[in-house]
Amino acid sequence: MELLCLGLNHRTAPVEVRERFAVGSTQLGAAAMELATLADATEGVVISTCNRTEFYLAAPDAREALILLEARLTLRESLDAGASIHFYRKVKSEAAVHLCRVVSGLDSMMLGETEIFGQVKQAYQAALAAGTTGCVLNRLFQRAFGVGKKVRTETSIQEGSTSVGNVAVDLAEKIFGHLKDSEVMILGAGEMSRITAQSLVSRGARSIFVSNRSFDRAEELARNMGGTAVRFDDWQRALERVDVVISSTGAPHALIHRADVEKVRRARKFRPLFFIDIAVPRDIHPDVGEIEEVYLYDIDTLENLASEARTRRQLQIELCEGIIIAELAKLNLPGT
Amino acid sequence: MDRWFLLIATLLAAIGGTWGMISVHRGTRSHWTVVWMVAVLLCQLGFLSIRGQLRAACPLQDLGEMLVFLAWSLTLFYLLIGPAYRISLLGVFSAPLVFVLQAAALISGMLTTSPKRDLSPNMFHSLHSATSVLAYGALALAGVAGIMFLVLDRQLKVHHLKSGLFRNLPPAHELLVSLERLLWLGTGLLTLGIIAGFLMPRTTTSVHSHLIVAMAVWVGYTGLLAVKTVRGLTGRKLALSAVAMFILSLVVFARV
Repeated sequence: MELLCLGLNHRTAPVEVRERFAVGSTQLGAAAMELATLADATEGVVISTCNRTEFYLAAPDAREALILLEARLTLRESLDAGASIHFYRKVKSEAAVHLCRVVSGLDSMMLGETEIFGQVKQAYQAALAAGTTGCVLNRLFQRAFGVGKKVRTETSIQEGSTSVGNVAVDLAEKIFGHLKDSEVMILGAGEMSRITAQSLVSRGARSIFVSNRSFDRAEELARNMGGTAVRFDDWQRALERVDVVISSTGAPHALIHRADVEKVRRARKFRPLFFIDIAVPRDIHPDVGEIEEVYLYDIDTLENLASEARTRRQLQIELCEGIIIAELAKLNLPGT
Repeated sequence: MDRWFLLIATLLAAIGGTWGMISVHRGTRSHWTVVWMVAVLLCQLGFLSIRGQLRAACPLQDLGEMLVFLAWSLTLFYLLIGPAYRISLLGVFSAPLVFVLQAAALISGMLTTSPKRDLSPNMFHSLHSATSVLAYGALALAGVAGIMFLVLDRQLKVHHLKSGLFRNLPPAHELLVSLERLLWLGTGLLTLGIIAGFLMPRTTTSVHSHLIVAMAVWVGYTGLLAVKTVRGLTGRKLALSAVAMFILSLVVFARV
């Protein structure tokens, strides 16, 4: 038996091609059965996420099975002959290394992301339940999970936040711990502030207040997020109770000045206040950050932190790949 | 034998602290800090039980014993609070203080070589000594939590977020909550100690001045908690006050 992998991902295929091969999470088992039949293979697993669809197979002749599978898939999806450029093909040990890279997050759009680990596990469980795995793919997937865990624990591949929103949420947690007692106010109903606030809510933030020059827009956003709309003239009063302020208005000058915060310090009993200013020009005057209990972060600072985390992850790739090669060399997997 | 226990406890605190700091510097969490501190506590208990048997009373009769009792109290409160609130780093910050206190107790002259048996032990005297030193343990740990908050606050303020220390420090809010609870606990125990102090027989003027200084310390901590509760206080001011007041309150030891 020989191992093979045929796949396409965000780097090799545009979304209009990827979506044709996408498989819903409840259909993974059935897809694995169909896959094995299509390639005349004895074992098959289908992995399908928003960024990739990959077919893992064990067949008597890997190259022959690859040609057969590709031809039948192209025919089934009525793709032209040029569509083959979107696929990548891996056989034997290459396929094993590739799966380990996928499980470790090295092949993901956001390097080191953790979600893929669970998605691959789900795909394998579905194939296992459908009875389309045997000694080759069982050993391959079980070992790949072990290697993936080792890569993630022994390197910094998943350390730090790589997006502005996640950096802001991590900082909020560093200040307030769990966010279940924290209240958040959004100033300006921009997309970026909505995403950041949504991340805070998903991590447990208690309530959200939305203030915008257009009250209708504030109400709409508040409704979508399960929060409360606040009239733009009243945001200073809301400042007395909130813990996190996310500001992204289109104002041409600073909106929040030191005096605004000084006024509410006593009423807040000097509790910590976290300002996230993602507006350009900035909404919050830098002087506000000089107040003792205030932590002020603007878009550049957040972007720099995210960028540094991305760079740190990039520097870990070689180390991760070294672990994968070393671990696979020890395992002597069937089909490779 | 008692000194051997103390020596081992001091070495364990030094090793635990150094180990923890190396881990923090590497950016990893030291899971062994709690284990080292448990070993320190056991050795401290060995020392205190031997001294207690020799004295046939609470081993708080000389400055050396008081320093060890204080280190024991600090270790005990860390073990009660640190793991429960998932602030293992508190141990890394506490271990150096435990080391310093015990090393000071090991200096020649601090511990009576042949402790005399207390022939007429007084319950209130023992209660005063024990609760006061336990209070100091809690207040010392509050100071340690204060230092940790000040470090974290500074890093958050200047956006210096890359160090291993930053990654390992617990959230600012949790540090402040622990700090405040320790202040309440320490002040409560100090209150008991002072009440027992007034009930114990007082013969010398030094005992009077000792109680007056202890009262001043109590007023200071009670005032701090009152301001925090009624008016509110920034985290930085609360932490700085906890550190400064603990250092100042050590004056009481000089008045023993």
